Amino acid sequence: MRRAAPITILALAGTLIASMACAVILGPASTSLGSLFALPNAWKIFWEIRLPRVIVAVLVGCALAVAGTAMQGLFRNSMADPYIIGTSSGGALGATLSIVFFAGMGRPVFAFLGAAIATFTVYTIARQGGKVPVETLLLSGVALSMLLSAFLSFLMYTAGRSLHQIMFWLMGGFWNVSWDDVIIGILIPAGCLAIYFYARDINIISLGEEDAIHLGVNVERLKQLLLFVSAFLAGIAVSIAGAIGFIGLITPHVMRLIVGPDHRILLPAAALAGGILLLWSDTLARTFAGDMPVGIITACFGAPFFIYLLRSRMKA
Amino acid sequence: MKPVEVIGIDVSYGAKKVLEVVSLDAEKGEILGIIGPNGAGKTTLIKAMSRVVTPEGGEIHLNARNLESLSFREMAQQVAVVPQGFSISFDYSVRDIVMMGRHPYIGRLSSASPRDLEVCDNAMRLANVTHLAASSVNEISGGERQRVLIARALAQEPKILLLDEATSNLDISHRIEILDIIRGLTDSVTVISVFHDLNLAAYYCDRLIMLKDQRVFAVGEPADVLTREAIRAVYGIDVLVKTHPLTGKPYILPVYGNAPGHQQQGGMHVICGGGTGSDLLYALHREGFRVSAGVLNLMDTDYATATALGIPCISEAPFAAISAGARDSLRQHIDSAHAVIVTAMPIGPGNIENIRILEDYRYKSVIFLCGGGSRAFQDHTGGEAGAIIRRLFDRGAVRVERVEEVLRILRAAG
Repeated sequence: MRRAAPITILALAGTLIASMACAVILGPASTSLGSLFALPNAWKIFWEIRLPRVIVAVLVGCALAVAGTAMQGLFRNSMADPYIIGTSSGGALGATLSIVFFAGMGRPVFAFLGAAIATFTVYTIARQGGKVPVETLLLSGVALSMLLSAFLSFLMYTAGRSLHQIMFWLMGGFWNVSWDDVIIGILIPAGCLAIYFYARDINIISLGEEDAIHLGVNVERLKQLLLFVSAFLAGIAVSIAGAIGFIGLITPHVMRLIVGPDHRILLPAAALAGGILLLWSDTLARTFAGDMPVGIITACFGAPFFIYLLRSRMKA
Repeated sequence: MKPVEVIGIDVSYGAKKVLEVVSLDAEKGEILGIIGPNGAGKTTLIKAMSRVVTPEGGEIHLNARNLESLSFREMAQQVAVVPQGFSISFDYSVRDIVMMGRHPYIGRLSSASPRDLEVCDNAMRLANVTHLAASSVNEISGGERQRVLIARALAQEPKILLLDEATSNLDISHRIEILDIIRGLTDSVTVISVFHDLNLAAYYCDRLIMLKDQRVFAVGEPADVLTREAIRAVYGIDVLVKTHPLTGKPYILPVYGNAPGHQQQGGMHVICGGGTGSDLLYALHREGFRVSAGVLNLMDTDYATATALGIPCISEAPFAAISAGARDSLRQHIDSAHAVIVTAMPIGPGNIENIRILEDYRYKSVIFLCGGGSRAFQDHTGGEAGAIIRRLFDRGAVRVERVEEVLRILRAAG
């Protein structure tokens, strides 16, 4: 199975490109390739709505999957995910603050700050004697998410005017995506690349922090770096598309089953798979489900998957 | 230049002191064992040397360089650690894990060189895990997993190898297998290992360092460190220290039960021989009676037991009859004893004096421990011994079958 790794990567890359091609054609206003170039309206739909939306969906999927993979390796725990441990909630709160108080100015920066603060808080709470046990990690994530939700509800309650916009951050979706978002999204591959440079270090820290020190890894610096970049990726993703859950949980998990746990292969595989998964979720949402928030769809298949993981953990 | 020099380090976890002014050094190629009871600071010492914890005071030097001045990478090129075990959530293969030992040698943007692969193969061969290379580390046994950790450590090409109870969770055959691998390493590798099993430590280590209450209690060769007194002081138990008949190294036998704390009870003299008195001597010693024994032949099993338990013992040269000097000494012991206990030893011309002397004591309490066997008090004196014993019984000597009965009588009397 491990030997098939390069083939898997190629297959995923091919699937991603094919999916993007399909996705720009599919939609409520069905456009064939021929009509695309014949009708000026179709071209406009293609260029101004579908193409940026498809690109952004893929980038956000990549960001969430890579952040999830890095967190799972760092926490030695295949149930970590930016949504579950509160990173996304922090990002959503940050983005909401910028909407309510600054009319959306500096949204990505706020989202990133919120995500980073939430991540470090959960990490600090969950850490016990150099280790981050699964149970405390999940519980601290839930607890912090609840607190952040309370802040969000408060903001929604007081800022009636931007209620719809804030709802958007809570559910996650790609309604208003434009080329501006694609430009912000360019930061995502940069973040992914930064994490990829540390793929071998993530392999080692996934054995445990003490082992990692013995094998020559500067553990504290690596942890800070991974948390920082993961929060950065999740923050960007949230600032573009709101809090979309479970992509960062499912993709690393499934890819680990297919290509094995070596992060040098797992990271690119998860990035591609995350892009594909979110792209199809969004395509499904806007084509067949009246453009409902994509976060609803990912939660519909993500939450049962999470429960399945919990159950199989309990059995083991 | 010594590979490892630890100079007076202090380590605390919060307010709790874990190590206080601990110093040690290790010579190139030696195996240094760290022993001591739970909580004495053994593991912490390993953690300090591998930079997992940072001492508040003191310094650690590796090959004359301060630990603090080394990068984590440089450190991992010199020092490898074999932990007690590991549990990982991800299914890495054995080869993946061993290859991680090369991490400190491979640059961030490069991949493994042919030399890295060669070192990794060699390490797997040395640790005897080559056949497991493709297996998942979660599918192999505990002993195999421990060997994988050794292979990973060897792949680091360390000059110093630290083992933190690396064999504690394994059965005896796997322990020996792994320690043999460690001892078979080249003379350029210095090994420092925590041991729980004192006998393994005595056999495999060139020197031992014994910790007690966060401090160094003793350092030296196994025979000098593993003394009865030191073990009593450090572990609080009584042991017999023997010499292993095959290796010539010290061998520790626990004296089960608590160490005698107080010797408030009256004195007893035990006349025994041929191993018939060993269990009684041990029982009396454990119960806290003041005990003496003899006269015994220097090669007698009971003599060995008495000396091992630290019981004063009158002795005579092998195959010699009891001399006048020994008889005087015996008389003194009997005079000062509360009671005399005779065990079911064979009696011959050599030791008949031991019971003949009892006829001089009209009012001394004498107990015969017959052990229930029909061969008790085998008489090799042509009837003289039997006659003496009969006369002693006539005068009121007590006859019992079991050690517990002796103890009961003595307790009642004491």
